[in-house]
Amino acid sequence: MSFGLIAAWQLIVPDLGRDAAWLGWGRVRYAHTQGIMLGWLANAFFAFLYHAVPILTGKPVTSARLGVWIFALWNFAVMLPGWVLVLAGVSQPLEWAEFPVVVDVVVVAALALAAVQFLPGFFRRGMESLYVSSWYIIGGLVFTLLAYPMGNLVPEFLPGAAGAAFSGLWIHDAVGLFVTPLALAIIYFVIPASTGRPVYSHFLSMLGFWLLFFLYPLNGTHHYVYSVIPMAAQLTAIVASALLGVTVVIVVTNLFLSMRGAGLLPRDPALRFVGTGTFFYVIVSLQGSAQAQMAVNQTVHFTDWVVAHSHLAMLGFASFAAAGGLVHAWQRMPEARYNATAITWAYWLLVSGLVGMVVDLTIGGLVQGELWKSGAPWIDSVTASRVYWVARAHIGTILAAGFIALLVGLTTGPRGAGLAVRPAPAAGADNGLAPRLSPVTEAL
Amino acid sequence: MNRAGRALRMSYLVASVAGVAFFALSVALLGVWPARVLDAQTAAMAPAHPLEPTTSERRGRAIYAREGCAYCHTQQIRYLDSDIARFGQPTLAWETRRDTPQLWGTRRIGPDLSRVGGARSLDWHYAHLFAPREIVAVSVMPGYPALFDGAPERPRQDARDLVAYLDSLGRARELAGPEGEAHAREGCHCPDDEMAQMAFHGVLNAHPARARRTTDAPPALPANGDRGRGTQLYLQHCATCHGPTGGGDGVGSHSLVPPPAKLAEHEYSTERLSAALWYGVAGSAMPAWRDYSLADRAALSATVQALSAARPEPEVPAHLVPLGAQVYAANCVQCHGEKGDGRGAAADKLAMAPANFTTQRLSLTEALRVLRAGVHGSPMAPWTTRLTDAERLAAAHHVRSLYRAAPAATEAR
Repeated sequence: MSFGLIAAWQLIVPDLGRDAAWLGWGRVRYAHTQGIMLGWLANAFFAFLYHAVPILTGKPVTSARLGVWIFALWNFAVMLPGWVLVLAGVSQPLEWAEFPVVVDVVVVAALALAAVQFLPGFFRRGMESLYVSSWYIIGGLVFTLLAYPMGNLVPEFLPGAAGAAFSGLWIHDAVGLFVTPLALAIIYFVIPASTGRPVYSHFLSMLGFWLLFFLYPLNGTHHYVYSVIPMAAQLTAIVASALLGVTVVIVVTNLFLSMRGAGLLPRDPALRFVGTGTFFYVIVSLQGSAQAQMAVNQTVHFTDWVVAHSHLAMLGFASFAAAGGLVHAWQRMPEARYNATAITWAYWLLVSGLVGMVVDLTIGGLVQGELWKSGAPWIDSVTASRVYWVARAHIGTILAAGFIALLVGLTTGPRGAGLAVRPAPAAGADNGLAPRLSPVTEAL
Repeated sequence: MNRAGRALRMSYLVASVAGVAFFALSVALLGVWPARVLDAQTAAMAPAHPLEPTTSERRGRAIYAREGCAYCHTQQIRYLDSDIARFGQPTLAWETRRDTPQLWGTRRIGPDLSRVGGARSLDWHYAHLFAPREIVAVSVMPGYPALFDGAPERPRQDARDLVAYLDSLGRARELAGPEGEAHAREGCHCPDDEMAQMAFHGVLNAHPARARRTTDAPPALPANGDRGRGTQLYLQHCATCHGPTGGGDGVGSHSLVPPPAKLAEHEYSTERLSAALWYGVAGSAMPAWRDYSLADRAALSATVQALSAARPEPEVPAHLVPLGAQVYAANCVQCHGEKGDGRGAAADKLAMAPANFTTQRLSLTEALRVLRAGVHGSPMAPWTTRLTDAERLAAAHHVRSLYRAAPAATEAR
């Protein structure tokens, strides 16, 4: 986050950090993407899994000691050296895969350990009684283990266009097979737990789950439309992108129907976060389907429109889901500090910052795309962008404040204060939770 | 377990297998298969002996990767008319066959660099990398002073490698020449594939700043360009090198070799400025400005002409006139030509085109300075050891007398 903010300010004050090579824009930008995906989202997901997996499986996770190991590996053998190496100039120039190969190896090891930590309980319980969140957790962890090495290692060996084809796959798999499943696992978990009602349709849940896992990987090549990569591959990805939009509408319809009665702005901040995340999910997916189409892609590709799109995905959808999941878990831990005011602030700061940034960069992207097509001198598109970049940097400050407020909300305030703001518990609150989340069993 | 439970378990099993299969399908269909097609394409379309990158260029590439250059500069010209018109012919698979890992990029804040090789002079690159805004005033590119030993004219090995790499981009296809293009076209086997054919559309390197050395007439500029607009453009794009008042003393001028022209010390015909703006000045850091409209170039031309407008014309002492012609004929015609049009017998062999005195007139002081000191970085040498003070003065007067202002330039003044 702070790396993103630095990079945003560097675009409008380019000499910021001029005398420190490690603060060069490119290096900071590398640290930004990896920090958001692996530093913030992955840590938040793991934290939520410690809350959700025991409830979903009815058993504790594999081992508390293993948990300490995964935490230590992830933060002190992935994030810390990853950032240090990238800033020191040891990296790979691949989107969403900037950490060098030596760190990638640790990532894969830590993901494998996470699979050992979280997954056995699901299989012991039998597949037929799995709630949809469980499917997403299994799918997310297993497929990331497959996709991560492909995206991070293959382009080290395959050159140019062929390497780009694999990079394209990974750019989409990182979002589609790692971030999206775990974010949806949280959303599918928090909604029924907070409203006290089962999800609207388990058939639609499962249909959505499988369609997402079938279609997400087939999207990759849409990052390189109009390139030398064979047209058949480009067209496959374009068609899959359109179908993916339809699938997300199914998923989100189901989620919104599950939330009915909670109001547009639910009182439970956890539900409010995941509900807003769901809304951003459908927007970002339909936007993605549209921008993969050749007529749109030729204008918006390479512009800030795409930057807006990825912020809508990683920040609007995934981070809101992750924040909702954390708040939800914190409400159920008597020993956790909880500051309701700060969390409300976090929500509004993040919503306003995100919407502002997406609108700003989308317009900026369209301006850039049109100027490029007009044949105007290149530098005109840079000067025309300045106003949008100035706005983005200030909006980024709002977003940073939102994340600080979230941190304050989860680390200050009285211990156990979260229990008080929990939505009115249905009969037998805690014990009732597990059955509510496994209505697949109930239906049989 | 009941039958429904078994059926459910079976369906989940099938779905799980299908899920993994779809992932494998995606890798096969969008990764492995394209890689094979691209390999075959490379084999069929690459020239027989494409130029390989040098060690320095490979090191430069690693620096380009390390600094995240690819996050602002793409190296992929798309099969789109707008990309082709701006950057040149689309990137073929074989052109990036040594790019591991790939540097295609997904965002263009700065321009695409696939064909930047030869588009800028090396000193331009050094000055620009050291402090971008000293060359391009409104640039947002970060500077890389760590690659230098304190000044742009003192590049470390890293800067030399990076610039060598930049200057190599697009070179392999350019050097393959028309034979290479014909070979690629044949290897493509795609006479009916509209998109594949686009790879051969347009000019190979369309970089608008690329200087060209030619005596062809540039598009004629209309007289009376908008001086207001011209001043605005001049201050934004020209002042960094040529200085705000045309003294050749802009912030970025110090490391450029040859130094930027002292515009205020020259009278230029519209024809001369039109050529400089359209073709650039090959052999110097002066790029072409072909991407600017005719009206903008006319405005710039009028502004530059005005920089030298108010200067008293010195009298030519009558006794120096024959001496000047004599000195010129004996020492200058080989390069600058008999008529002073820069087309002397040796002109074509020089790295930089000799000055054409019929379309530009130096001030007397500037002419004397050049005769005394030469032009650093150009074939123009100092003449202090060969010519006496009087001979140099006579020659200076003589070259000034060769100027033939075009009617348009006279009107503009």
